[in-house]
Amino acid sequence: MIALEFPPINEILRWKDLFPSFNKIALIAVAAALIGTIVFLLAGSKDPMKAPKGVRNLAETIVEFIENGIVMQTMGRDGLGWTPFLMSIFMFIYLCNVPGIIPFLQMPATARIAIPMFLSLLVWVVFIGTGFKHQGIGYLKSSLFPPGVPKALYILVTPIEFISTFLVRPFSLTVRLFANMLAGHILLVTFALLSEALFQAKGNPGLIPVGVLPLFMLIFLTGFEVLVAFLQAYIFTILTAVYIGGAAHPEH
Amino acid sequence: MRTAVVTVTGGALRVELVSAESEEGKEFDPEDCAFEPETSTPNECGPGPGPIIPEMKELAWGAGSFIVFALLMRIFLYPRLRKGMDARYNSIRVGHEAADAARASARSEVAQYEAAVAAAKADAAKVVDAARATLESERQAQIDAANARISAKRDAALADADAARASARGQIEAAVADVVTSAAEAATGRRPDGAVVSRAVADTMSAGVSR
Repeated sequence: MIALEFPPINEILRWKDLFPSFNKIALIAVAAALIGTIVFLLAGSKDPMKAPKGVRNLAETIVEFIENGIVMQTMGRDGLGWTPFLMSIFMFIYLCNVPGIIPFLQMPATARIAIPMFLSLLVWVVFIGTGFKHQGIGYLKSSLFPPGVPKALYILVTPIEFISTFLVRPFSLTVRLFANMLAGHILLVTFALLSEALFQAKGNPGLIPVGVLPLFMLIFLTGFEVLVAFLQAYIFTILTAVYIGGAAHPEH
Repeated sequence: MRTAVVTVTGGALRVELVSAESEEGKEFDPEDCAFEPETSTPNECGPGPGPIIPEMKELAWGAGSFIVFALLMRIFLYPRLRKGMDARYNSIRVGHEAADAARASARSEVAQYEAAVAAAKADAAKVVDAARATLESERQAQIDAANARISAKRDAALADADAARASARGQIEAAVADVVTSAAEAATGRRPDGAVVSRAVADTMSAGVSR
């Protein structure tokens, strides 16, 4: 008989402080900002007149991906001014997600709720502020009283629009990112623990080969998490662009 | 805390989730687990808030890092990179336009060259035609001159031949007249008139030639 004890959730999510008030999540967040800054600093130091390669090629690819793949698709040419903000969000989230599969780090900073919640609240403030900046008080009218709806239906539609636009959006942004990354992390921990338990099954050598199965699943899920890390960063960024674009240009 | 208990009996694998405090769990001591937590000293970080409650230190470090990164990106990093990209794109566009202009210029020059070649070919054809006409006229003149010379030589030859024929005929007529005179003189004993004999011989030979 072997026993597999799954640890309490906080044991796989919380980390003792590296120094007072600075734990692994803080380290990953700071590293994400530093890496992003260094990448763009190095890219900016290269001769722009030569064909881009290496780190400059990477940075320009990110810029064009954000501009052509997100801004132009959701906000149009008028939204190009939001590129630095959206690029910051995309790179920061991606660089916070990726440590979930990096050996020894093995923890996505976004699997803790603090960073997703902060980013969601920031986006919430930004898109509401953009709405008031572009439409003034009319932003509330266009958000809560969508045109083309029979007036009698506003009794139903207005509360729904208020809840969905002003309350649910930051909540859904937070939960989508946090829950996906947390689920991926728990899956990796689960299969890692299962593999380890089976490989170390004492007195049951027949179970040792069975440990290969969760190990293969662990390898597959690790690859899958690479995709999830990118996909969640992309989804958060494109939703941010959609919200800001919708607030700036309600006719869209 | 719940514990998964895996039991192998023969070829069957049985998994049970039991609580350490439950009756079933009493015969299993969780301390015997081989589990090693991710941190070597997991309890040092304390139980902390639930996973859906944000921790202030993570919130502060995350927010601070992002705000600094976003501001750097907005003020310095992105504009610098974008400026370089725009400069290169402009350079490429200028290069494209210069290449287009050079291509158009080259096409114009090629057209001019082809027109010049066509004009030269037309001039050459005219020169060749004129030369051919000149050559033909000269050839015809040479042929006419040669024909004239041949005709003159032929006429002269014919005249010579007629003269030679007339001379031969006179000699033959004289010889025949002599023979006829001698024969008539031998037959008649009298010499015939030479003029009559000559005329008769001439008439006879002329009649023979005409016949």
